[in-house]
Amino acid sequence: MATAIPSIACLGVIGRNNNPLHTSIFPSYDASNNSFHPVRTPLQFSLILSSTLDVFELRSRQNTAAGVGLTGDFGLLHAVDDRLAAYGFETNTGTRFVVIVDMRGRRIDGALAAGLDGRDKRLAGAAAGLREGEMRPVFKAMQLAYVKLLQNPFFDPDEHSPPAGQGGAKITNKKFAADMRRIGEAWTPGITNL
Amino acid sequence: MDEYPAGSLDHSIPYLLTLGTRTGTPYDSGLSAALKEQAVLIRSELPPLESDQAQALLRYIQDRDASQIPCNGRDASERKYRFRIKSAERSLLLPPRRARLPEGIESPPPSAVLHSPYSPLSPISSLYPDGLIDTQWIRKHQDLVPAVLLCCYTLTSDPSLATLCDNQIKTDVNNIRALLSQSGYKTRLAVVLLSDHVSPSSSIDGVQDRLEIIRRGCGLDSKALFLVPSSNSQEELERVAENMLTTLYVVSVEYYRDLGRHSRKKRGRGIVPQPTIPPTSGTSQTLSLAGWNVRYDFKSAVFAEFRLEMDVALRSYEQAYENLLSSELMELIPSWNPRWNEARFLADVIAVRCLRCLLWNAQHSAAARRWLSHRERIADFVDRRGRGTNNYGWEAWEARWAIVMADLIDKIDIPELFPVTLKLYLPPEKSIMGERLQPWELLHHPGYWYRLAAKHLQARKAFAHSIPEDDRRSPSDSPASHVAKSAFTYDTYMCPDPYEEYPLGRQGVNHAKMITDCLMRARAEFLKRRQTRYAAEVSLECARELAMADDWQGVLELLRPMWKELSFRAEGWIAIAEEINWALRTAAAEVGDAESVLLADWELLSRDFAKRPNWHYDITRSLEDVTLTSKPNVSIRDGQLVSFMSASFLFQSEEGKAGQNVRGQLSIKSNAHLGSAPVVLSTVYLSFDGSLDGIILRHHDNGRTALQSQGKAALATVSLTRQADGDGSQPAAPAEISSGVTLVGSADLTLRPGQALVFNMQIPLREPGETRVDSLTVNVGSETFDLRQSLTFQERGNTNLWYISPSNTKYVAHPQPLVVRVLPRPPKMEVRCPAWKEQYYTDEPMDLEFEVENGEDIEALAKLDVVLFGEKPPLFTTSIPEHEDQTSSSIRSEETRISGAPMGTIGSLKSLTVRIRLPPIERSSRYDLTLKVTYFLPTNPGTPISQTAVFQLNVVNPFEANYDFLPRVHPDPWPSLFDPDNIALPITSDSDDVTPQPPSGISQAWSLVTRYASFASEPLRVTDVDIVIQPSATSRCATTTKYTNIPTSGAGRLVNPKTIEEATFDLSAQKLTVDDRSHAPLDISLIIKWTRADTPTNPAALTTTTPNTTSLPIPRFTLFGTEPRVLASVTHRRRRGGGSGSPPTSATTTTTPSAPAIPLITLTITIENASNHFLTFGLAMEPSEAFAFSGPKLTTASLLPVSRRAVEYRLLPFDLAAAAAAGGDGRVDGWWIRPGLVVRDKYFQKVLRVIAAGEGVRGGKEGFEVWVPRF
Repeated sequence: MATAIPSIACLGVIGRNNNPLHTSIFPSYDASNNSFHPVRTPLQFSLILSSTLDVFELRSRQNTAAGVGLTGDFGLLHAVDDRLAAYGFETNTGTRFVVIVDMRGRRIDGALAAGLDGRDKRLAGAAAGLREGEMRPVFKAMQLAYVKLLQNPFFDPDEHSPPAGQGGAKITNKKFAADMRRIGEAWTPGITNL
Repeated sequence: MDEYPAGSLDHSIPYLLTLGTRTGTPYDSGLSAALKEQAVLIRSELPPLESDQAQALLRYIQDRDASQIPCNGRDASERKYRFRIKSAERSLLLPPRRARLPEGIESPPPSAVLHSPYSPLSPISSLYPDGLIDTQWIRKHQDLVPAVLLCCYTLTSDPSLATLCDNQIKTDVNNIRALLSQSGYKTRLAVVLLSDHVSPSSSIDGVQDRLEIIRRGCGLDSKALFLVPSSNSQEELERVAENMLTTLYVVSVEYYRDLGRHSRKKRGRGIVPQPTIPPTSGTSQTLSLAGWNVRYDFKSAVFAEFRLEMDVALRSYEQAYENLLSSELMELIPSWNPRWNEARFLADVIAVRCLRCLLWNAQHSAAARRWLSHRERIADFVDRRGRGTNNYGWEAWEARWAIVMADLIDKIDIPELFPVTLKLYLPPEKSIMGERLQPWELLHHPGYWYRLAAKHLQARKAFAHSIPEDDRRSPSDSPASHVAKSAFTYDTYMCPDPYEEYPLGRQGVNHAKMITDCLMRARAEFLKRRQTRYAAEVSLECARELAMADDWQGVLELLRPMWKELSFRAEGWIAIAEEINWALRTAAAEVGDAESVLLADWELLSRDFAKRPNWHYDITRSLEDVTLTSKPNVSIRDGQLVSFMSASFLFQSEEGKAGQNVRGQLSIKSNAHLGSAPVVLSTVYLSFDGSLDGIILRHHDNGRTALQSQGKAALATVSLTRQADGDGSQPAAPAEISSGVTLVGSADLTLRPGQALVFNMQIPLREPGETRVDSLTVNVGSETFDLRQSLTFQERGNTNLWYISPSNTKYVAHPQPLVVRVLPRPPKMEVRCPAWKEQYYTDEPMDLEFEVENGEDIEALAKLDVVLFGEKPPLFTTSIPEHEDQTSSSIRSEETRISGAPMGTIGSLKSLTVRIRLPPIERSSRYDLTLKVTYFLPTNPGTPISQTAVFQLNVVNPFEANYDFLPRVHPDPWPSLFDPDNIALPITSDSDDVTPQPPSGISQAWSLVTRYASFASEPLRVTDVDIVIQPSATSRCATTTKYTNIPTSGAGRLVNPKTIEEATFDLSAQKLTVDDRSHAPLDISLIIKWTRADTPTNPAALTTTTPNTTSLPIPRFTLFGTEPRVLASVTHRRRRGGGSGSPPTSATTTTTPSAPAIPLITLTITIENASNHFLTFGLAMEPSEAFAFSGPKLTTASLLPVSRRAVEYRLLPFDLAAAAAAGGDGRVDGWWIRPGLVVRDKYFQKVLRVIAAGEGVRGGKEGFEVWVPRF
């Protein structure tokens, strides 16, 4: 029996001015025709990413009131539906990372899983859901990639999030995009280091 | 939830029925027609109560109806009871306990046992023979059979009627009781008596007795009889009613407990009851034991729910659910069997009731998980046994299932999810905190569930739309074979057949309505929790759905506010903004909202958006397919939308002066899609923030030649003309800013995609202050519409690019490119002094001539202020033509001034000469002369303009001098002390003091040598040098001769700066009397008369100009004294030829160059004894190698008082060889020899100094020296 396990459907980086900086979309397994393709269109992902801003706003207000959330990890922002869920992280400069997880994005073949080593078995067992801090490695990796990007002397953060004003340019750095792609593809539940 | 049959999912609460009160509405038993005729009628014989008290009580009880209150156990402590209340007036119908046999059955076996009409055992039941359980049964307990029947009667207070009434009550109650027990229901009977006592006059005991009698007579429990006293107070009534209901609730719970016990007992029996008549139709199958167990479990669960024992209920439900879905039950039912759908329905009902139990116990995540698991199991079940999940029926169920959850959450009313908490989902409960959870298992608020439902509804719609046409035909039109075939391909569980779902040729299920309903409910939930962006996403989806349903007005209503307010655009979510734009544009075009069409089209021109192929991108054509009622006029704020235009402005210089022009460059850039039609701007209005005028540029088609349009920019220089307000032929500028004067220019305003329009302008500045470019308003007009876009300027330091040519830009360093600082209007009045000199001199009257020239375009009325500032400034006079002279006044010691001297009107480009006269100043000093011309222009009489000119007046001393005062031998003999003529007569000195006596005292001769130098910066002409001797009381002094190098012609001598000129004066002084031999001071000043060199030199002119006189005081000298003096003087004489010697300066005149000769020198030593003593002096002349001498080598001279005596030596200097050695070369004019003469006062043994007195002698350290000239 095939078991569906979570995978990353989309990685988004949102700037301080609520402007989209980067979006990577990853294909999910489609059981109906046994192939991989994204579960949503780029526009829909855009909408999902932008809708997380509401949650960031609400949550940061609640966090400020309660004096928690200093790590920037917002955990689960909301479940978009029974399949997609958005997780969020905010750096202390206001840049936000959003991971949209497809809870049924990958498939482990049950027959195969039986014969595989412990890790994959554990994966199969993990299919039910996600633990609370399971997205932390993803955010860590994303932040690392973002820090690397900031260290690039040709990257001007103000161009992407003007300190006063609105909008900003998107990140076009190829290495950053490649990093995002690698993170999105490499993540599976239970992974601790990316 | 509404799609499920009424009552199937409702929360079960105890049912209380009141009887015997006037209700106004007839009692509806709710029984089906078939059962009605078999129903048990329970009837009260007494008339219904109509008193106010009874009505109030009834109303109160009815208000306590709990069927609509939230299903949760939160306020269990406060809420002591829950009842579902119904009221009947006099009679009620109960369903029959035993169903009759249907008519058709002829011969019932004698052993046939009649069962409840709701049981699958009864042939009349729809469940017969193998159904499980249905809503009817739930409704029986919820709506038909009350747990408590509350009968109301009046307790008459009238003693005469009391017994009769009481008996009537007893009879009636007993009657009802009998009927109830006949019916077989265990409904509890309760009686409430309403006392009609007007006053509590009769004894309470009496009432108590009566109550007791009634209770006993009716065989009632003590807990089942209540008395409502006749008090009028509402509180009393409420208290009694509360008490009564609480008591009755316990009774009702007991009732349901009995029922639950009964069904558990039946389950425990473990046998399958036999139906009344064995089934003969269908499969002839009867309900299996497992089925009965499900039925019993379900019943006990429902009864437990009645009792609010939710844990018990949950357990029983779960048991029923598991059994139902087990292999013994549902797996065995074929999917074509109607029982299949009934079983699914039952599973749904049980699952919903399970969910409610879980939510009741605040197990929210467990509920969400239960929700998911039910879906999974049913999906699995349908996939395996049913018709699969890829059809509209399944999607319909999925949607329904999501809506059920949303409704449940609403009903349960979870405070943690209230909109005010702004929580989107609940954290998992503690018991499953550490587990791996699906994110969806954290219970989200209903908005998400509605959204999910909408998604499934959309899928349902998609499936429905893919039904082949054959299946969409009504069965009556289709061939029977086809009907048979399609009958089993579609899952029609709780949804219509395909020919109803999406029929051919007519409206079927309104999917769009269902979807939009769901979405709008979701949207409302999101908005409540400030999820504006998510709500916008839902709105967008909704709009798409409405668009498909051609509800364009709806789309517009939904999208317009979103389009206006949302932040997607500003935050850079371009794709979303684009989607909204296109959707809005389509809808607006359909509806005819020209304004929205224009706005959307305008925005979509921007290259930020993806280009849609085959779209015209021409703003002038955007209204082609819109029917217009009036000409739309659209105005767009800056930042309201992503404009394809951007504007920048740059002042070339940071500051300018009022009245002058400043260069500015306006550029309008287009970021429109390449290939889009050029936009022709009709006018461009540039407004300023300070005092600057607004500028209007008008489109002018022929301007193409002036426009250098090549490459990325089109550069044009626009000349601006002033246009006053009012004659605006085209009120193109917005009304609020068209006040005041505007500047108008015209240029080609065709903006091509990707190009920039650049305009160079000369902008006149008017008033001082800071002026900032405020905004730009761009108007686009055509026959069909007017559009106005305002743009603000971005101020960024790094984008100050000035277009030199269309392709070349240069960077202008300008920290604030939008600001020009306007300095005050520069005064154009000029104050000049053409003949200003660097230096002025003391003792010189100054006459300064200033020119005031009016450089303004028009005449000016001027005034003059003159201030002289410095140390002790002199008073001065100002003379202005045609005005009286004014003399300054001194206000402070360091300032003199003239204020506001009128100058009259100075014509344009005319000048006026002002003279300022200063008297001669004695001391050298420095002053600041300030001239301030204040003037008014007739055009602006309120604003004074002033021009100030400061001149520095340097007054210096033109000359300085030093002096030598040399003694000489006076040639005249001294008067004799012994001469009686010389004695002043004391008698006459008394009386004839006035008569001047000729001086008769001793006399001395002196020579004053003055050396003066000019310290002026220019040559000065000295016309005369003289001395003035201050007269003295005791002596008389006069100049005997004067030697100067000034020509006597009177033309004076031009003295160059820093050259030393010499003038010598011989003085002779004489004491008035001989007796007076004291010191006499001598005060002399040197007088230099001079003129400036540039004054004319001819003597005639010179006489007219009075020379300046500079007087230099000479330090005081002292004459006379009693000390004896030794004066040495020489005379030179040629050895051959003779003649007296000349001083060295003039000695060369008589030199014969061929025969140099040694002169013969006569040295005369004159000893003066001005004292009253007889003195003896010894003279000793030492021989020298330098000369020979004749005269006494050693002699003694005795001098009488006031006498003098001369001793002569003749000196003959030795040969030239010695002279040459002494001089160092042969070309000397002479040399000095030092005679070793010592004069000694014999008496005092004191050596007297020999003083040089005359030419050719000089004093030295080691004695005097004598000049030997060479002849």
